[in-house]
Amino acid sequence: MTNFVWLLAVEAADAVEEGGGLFDFDATLPLMAVQFVLLAVALNALFYKPLGKVLDERDGYISSNRVDAAERLAKAEKIAKQYQQELAETRRQAQTVIAEAQEEAQKIAAQTVAAAQQEAQTQREQVQRELDEQKNQAMVTLEQQVDGLSQQILDKLLGALAV
Amino acid sequence: MLMIHPLVLAKLEVGEHLYWQVGGLKLHGQVFLTSWLVIGALLLVSFLATRNIQRVPSGLQNFMEYALEFIRDIAKNQIGEKEYRPWVPFVGTLFLFIFVSNWSGALIPWKLIHLPSGELAAPTNDINTTVALALLTSLAYFYAGFSKRGLGYFAKYIEPTPILLPINILEDFTKPLSLSFRLFGNILADELVVAVLVLLVPLFVPLPVMVLGLFTSAIQALIFATLAAAYIGEAIEGHGGEEHG
Repeated sequence: MTNFVWLLAVEAADAVEEGGGLFDFDATLPLMAVQFVLLAVALNALFYKPLGKVLDERDGYISSNRVDAAERLAKAEKIAKQYQQELAETRRQAQTVIAEAQEEAQKIAAQTVAAAQQEAQTQREQVQRELDEQKNQAMVTLEQQVDGLSQQILDKLLGALAV
Repeated sequence: MLMIHPLVLAKLEVGEHLYWQVGGLKLHGQVFLTSWLVIGALLLVSFLATRNIQRVPSGLQNFMEYALEFIRDIAKNQIGEKEYRPWVPFVGTLFLFIFVSNWSGALIPWKLIHLPSGELAAPTNDINTTVALALLTSLAYFYAGFSKRGLGYFAKYIEPTPILLPINILEDFTKPLSLSFRLFGNILADELVVAVLVLLVPLFVPLPVMVLGLFTSAIQALIFATLAAAYIGEAIEGHGGEEHG
């Protein structure tokens, strides 16, 4: 096994003797640099620029769409809120209308009852008055008759005396 | 030594190169061959991904958008929201090139292709490549510093105190050195470990190390790109950090 490793070193040493070696700098270096710069320029035109443009455009497209969507969402939420408010308002109005109607109905009922009671009262009073009047008349008639009768009695008594 | 040669099942070659002569310049042919393949793959995938761009991505476009967002995140985290955009191509190309290079070295059975000398491997296991990338990073952060703060960039050398001047200057040398050697060492070591294990136990045993190698390769690409972005961000922002964010 050591032979193989030894061989490795020998190979390297051979190469160095021929003027090669690991650290053999020559015109490869500048030419590789030029080649690399050319590659960078070519890739810039072929790859970075077009695809970069697409990425940026897509970013813009997505962000503008997102802004748009957010706007529409906000608008929808606003409308929903407005509807809710209107609904609540309408409900409140309905409640007040109902309450008013109930109140009015109660008032009308109370009025009607009161009127009926009043009428009953007046009728009763009238009847009472009529009764009183008839009673009075009856009394007056009775008194007259009492007067007449007592006169007759007196006359009868006095007449007998006078005779 | 010649006696051992018949026993060798897989041959290890370290420091051997396929030399090309171009107008008096010596080049490492195997590095260029694989790097061209890596560059070709990157360009092809980019072309296919951006051929028919849709707003709703799918398939390759989706994948490459994910890659781009990953790269942008690296740059954004290190350089900052305001300044990162011009640096995305540089940092991104660093990451993609190193990552694809490393993985090509680990995944493609290069050894099946025989070269007259040297062997095909990841471009990043050649010191020339990593030093080239590291020096470009140095240039990039110097450029970033000067273009943002002008000559005021030199103020960072005496911050927080002038006593640190030598260390701050030294940093400009250690940065590319550590960048290049970290990448070079990791990739070369990984390939060597796999090669030695294959040499010793040809079946199954090297597999965990190969998987570990894939992981290391990805991490090294990420580290290189992140550090490059961090250096650029530091040069733009300055040590004092007078304008954070």
